[in-house]
Amino acid sequence: MKIFFILLISLALIVILLTPFASAESRGGNLIIGVDQEVIGLDPNVVTSFSSFRRIDLLYNKLVKMDYDFNIVPDLADSWEIPDSLTYIFHLKEGVKFHNGRELTADDVKFSLERVLDPKTASPGRSYIAPISDIEVINKYTIKIKLSSPLASFLSGLASNNCSIVPKEEVEKYGNLQRDAVGTGPFKLGEWVPDNYMKLVRNPDYFEKGFPYLDAVTFRVVPEQTSLLAGIKSGSLDMATINAGSIILQAQKDPNLVVMQIPGLNLRTFGFNNTREPFDDVRVRQAIALAIDRDEIVTAAEFGMAQPSGPLTASVKKWAKPLEELPFSKRNLKKARELLTEAGYPDGFSFNIVTSSSYEGGVAVAQVIQSQLKEIGLRPELEVVEWGIYIDRWVKRDFDSMVELRGGSAEPDRFLYRSLHSTGGVNNWLFEDEEVDKLLNEGRRLVKYEDRKPIYDKIQVLLSEKMPVIFLYVPFQTQVLSPNVKNFRQIGNGALQYLSQTWLEE
Amino acid sequence: MYGYILKRFISLVFVVLGVSIIIFFMVRLIPGSALEMYLGTQVEATPKQMEELKVIFGEDKPVLVLYGEWLSRIIRGDFGCSLRTSRPVLPDILSRLPLTLELSFFALCFSVLIGIPLGILSSRKQNPFMGLVIRISGLLGLSIPQFFLAILFVMFFSSFKGWIPMGTYISLLKNPILNLKMFFFPSLALGGGLAAVIMRFTRYNILEVTLMDYIRTARSKGVSEKNILIKHVLKNALLPVITVLGFNAGYLMGGAIVIEEVFALPGMGRLVLYAIYQRDYPLLQGIVLIITVFFVLINFFTDILYVYIDPRIRYE
Repeated sequence: MKIFFILLISLALIVILLTPFASAESRGGNLIIGVDQEVIGLDPNVVTSFSSFRRIDLLYNKLVKMDYDFNIVPDLADSWEIPDSLTYIFHLKEGVKFHNGRELTADDVKFSLERVLDPKTASPGRSYIAPISDIEVINKYTIKIKLSSPLASFLSGLASNNCSIVPKEEVEKYGNLQRDAVGTGPFKLGEWVPDNYMKLVRNPDYFEKGFPYLDAVTFRVVPEQTSLLAGIKSGSLDMATINAGSIILQAQKDPNLVVMQIPGLNLRTFGFNNTREPFDDVRVRQAIALAIDRDEIVTAAEFGMAQPSGPLTASVKKWAKPLEELPFSKRNLKKARELLTEAGYPDGFSFNIVTSSSYEGGVAVAQVIQSQLKEIGLRPELEVVEWGIYIDRWVKRDFDSMVELRGGSAEPDRFLYRSLHSTGGVNNWLFEDEEVDKLLNEGRRLVKYEDRKPIYDKIQVLLSEKMPVIFLYVPFQTQVLSPNVKNFRQIGNGALQYLSQTWLEE
Repeated sequence: MYGYILKRFISLVFVVLGVSIIIFFMVRLIPGSALEMYLGTQVEATPKQMEELKVIFGEDKPVLVLYGEWLSRIIRGDFGCSLRTSRPVLPDILSRLPLTLELSFFALCFSVLIGIPLGILSSRKQNPFMGLVIRISGLLGLSIPQFFLAILFVMFFSSFKGWIPMGTYISLLKNPILNLKMFFFPSLALGGGLAAVIMRFTRYNILEVTLMDYIRTARSKGVSEKNILIKHVLKNALLPVITVLGFNAGYLMGGAIVIEEVFALPGMGRLVLYAIYQRDYPLLQGIVLIITVFFVLINFFTDILYVYIDPRIRYE
């Protein structure tokens, strides 16, 4: 009896002592996040910019979504079956409400996906789900989608922000949802003062019970990186996405700030116009690749905050072949010079590298590449142009070589097809190769990972041998936060969906 | 006097018209179009889609025709719609104008409050060393680029909680104290360079005037040094400073672009920068038109003021 009481009291004491250490979530608060770009619009099926996607992360949902480990997990669809490679049956969650109060049904899914597929919408998501041949509403919560040909990246495509589910009557009422956001997400559109701030307020009827904790999330536009950091230090911002390495270093030195960093999904590339001499000769491209030292570029341009990579984003370990296993990935100046001589350029040649001083334009990268290529007798000249002119040159394919930052994907087909297939929409390197085309077509038709892996391994080796573009590195995704922001999780593509589980400590 | 005013006013109209023509044609010479910016590098558009979008963006007609259309609309007060947001341009510009005006006004105040007293101090013969110090700091103020100064302010004063609220704008009417706190450092950064100009110019004018005969006469009449300074020297020395201020006030609006970028203030300066980046022609033309009108009006009123204050010119 005595022992029983002693045990009981000890247990009670332990509980009492441990309680202060249990960090309970506190509800409420307005989290202020600093971003360096204003958004033009909020219509999920239409917008193209990453900055828009960050708001859509919180306002809308898709059938499926990607988690922090790049796995496809349920979002609006509770479960799904794939009876054959051309048929997908999704079972929707019940009781999901749009911000206008109406319940989401399979009709909304049909409407949204057809809207994405409609050429008049000009949706960037169209190519992700183009093979859809039929969408059939089975009942209120079940929808059947048929494809005309198998597409391995289909689920990954459905997880894109562009395939968010929207309510039909609101689209018809407003024409588009650029200014009037009506989604199913954890936050609703509260106030929007353009180029000043955008306040998203808590959705009390959000279908993930218990979330979100925050009362509001406010996006403030702060164009300068230094100013973003100053904002967090001074308390006017709670968190910010920072990409300038020098600023991140400053933040890391400050004990009052939290710096979260994970491998990202974007790929830094140094690509050629494969139709221009001498870049139409594969030996020239290989020679240049052999003169590149990725580590040096990462140190100089990103302050070490990046991972060297091949054609598939190195952070996606499931698919990416290690760089060491790819040909022409290791520096070899002697072999480079031999190849140049073989191709008929023993004394090198001069050419231009188009770049821009914005972060995406990568002028620092171009400078390092320039000095590295000089060592094999080449004479590259930098053309540092204003961002608008950079885009113009990109669209017109008017460059010898160009430094870019490409949006990658955890699904190899989604990235490689549009970038390197001869009919690829963003293949501005003008690369055409029958073998690569054939493998890309095959890879997207197969569905099982075990079948696809060897094909994409082969593609990576082929791309390294033919070297239409040199893939350099994957920059880290960095968030700087003030220490009272709790339980935020990053995803490699910068998505903010985990803000639904974040709270502010008092 | 009234003939003078009328003549000046007419030349004003021509200046504004001329600037609008130059901007209209110049900005379309820059490579890159609003359509390309809209699509960026992540979107695939077929040639057919590009053609359709070109019509929407108004890029399918010759430039001269476009100018004529724009001019005829402006005369009726229709500034058109932004190519990126499809919203009418004028309300957006006007909503951001107060911020830039307030910023420029405070910068002007700073430059006068700092420049003139320092200019007077540095001209006094009694303390040549202080004069030297002030002149050197004046040279520094002129030479330091505004951008650099602004970033320095942001870096060093960010730990002062609440003095550098990033990305917000609270109007003077809503919360005067917060508003003034917010504008303190940005206005200082913007006005710093101008303060140096004012200081040097004031000093130069004071020294010039002090050598004049009528000052010698006043001294020999027995007027005290203090009265000489206030009644005779300053009145004559500061007159040209008004002209310099008027002239530079317009340039302040240009410097405001940099300050607004660094301090994340949503003013007109940032809007025009954004319009250039995005090749948003209607927005750009609207803003340039409004800035030109302001610049020209300020100079116009400065001229009138000068004529009014200086009796010598009035009777010429």
